[in-house]
Amino acid sequence: MGATVVTVALDIKPEHTYQWIDAANATHPSLIDIHHVTGDLFGFTNIPMAVWIDEHGVLVRPAEGASVERSPLRDMEIPEGLPERMEQMFRAVKAIPDDAEAYRAAILDWVAKGADSQYALSPDEVVALSQPRGESQARAIACYELGEYLLLTIGHDAAVPWWRESHRLDPDNWTHKRQAWTLVTTPEGATENDLMQGPNEVYEGNWLDDVIAGGGGEAYVVRPKL
Amino acid sequence: MILHSLDRVTADDFATATDWQPTPQGLCRGDVCVPAPGSIRDDGTLDIGVVSQRLGMPVVHDEAHGVWAVGPATTSGHTLSTAVAADHELITRDGSPFRLSSLRGRKVVLVAWSSY
Repeated sequence: MGATVVTVALDIKPEHTYQWIDAANATHPSLIDIHHVTGDLFGFTNIPMAVWIDEHGVLVRPAEGASVERSPLRDMEIPEGLPERMEQMFRAVKAIPDDAEAYRAAILDWVAKGADSQYALSPDEVVALSQPRGESQARAIACYELGEYLLLTIGHDAAVPWWRESHRLDPDNWTHKRQAWTLVTTPEGATENDLMQGPNEVYEGNWLDDVIAGGGGEAYVVRPKL
Repeated sequence: MILHSLDRVTADDFATATDWQPTPQGLCRGDVCVPAPGSIRDDGTLDIGVVSQRLGMPVVHDEAHGVWAVGPATTSGHTLSTAVAADHELITRDGSPFRLSSLRGRKVVLVAWSSY
């Protein structure tokens, strides 16, 4: 492939990423972003998202949903008899749009054709198609960063008010919310993060209720405009 | 960007944290420069009040712990101000520093993921 894939894990606890990076046995650069700075700089607000960068260091596509393989969760039958909340979660996950096939094809087209690819955007188009960022979204990032700093230097309780405010200001920033939720819903000593991120006593939101409030699975991802 | 004082921010520290470079032409990132008269003091430090106003960067303050955070620029109304890729230093699995600029000459697909 005439392109280098670089993965970056937005994860405040780098040790949480190691088992996945090691299991992938990746030969490409596998980076860790403990401060979520790539979310700030490139606009990653959920995962997976990606940007494309040309040979000159110029973005040719902004941050957008970047699945390259259809998730089996989209097509699974929801078992009968599940607890209501679990069933709601499955339904929300199944409703998440899946653009994997088209997105993968677009990458391959760009790799083959470069700037002549219909998917390679001009610099002005890249900026214009990047996600909106106004005062609320920018302030949310500052609040997240302050909370993260206080988490690492003072303790979790000092971080919570700032992360709650970050969630309030930008409810569409899922990496900020999920990072915070998982720290309070993952049992002490667990080897893997809790992915359910259910109701908790620390934050007003949780994954399922926030997805529903935000418009359901259909609105959960930044779909690539291909 | 985390600050412990609003009066001792150097141009280099600001550029490292935000990718915005204070220059005589203004505050520049990639091919974009925002005029910012008065942003650089005589002693070389930045007036964060001027800088944050010019770039539309919100500043939040935790008074109890004496710390500030400066949010990203909002001048374009979008996540990106320029298509020139940011080049912040990140770390690899083994803790080594890594910059995307080390891959110049190659197409790069930068994919974000998380363990949560």
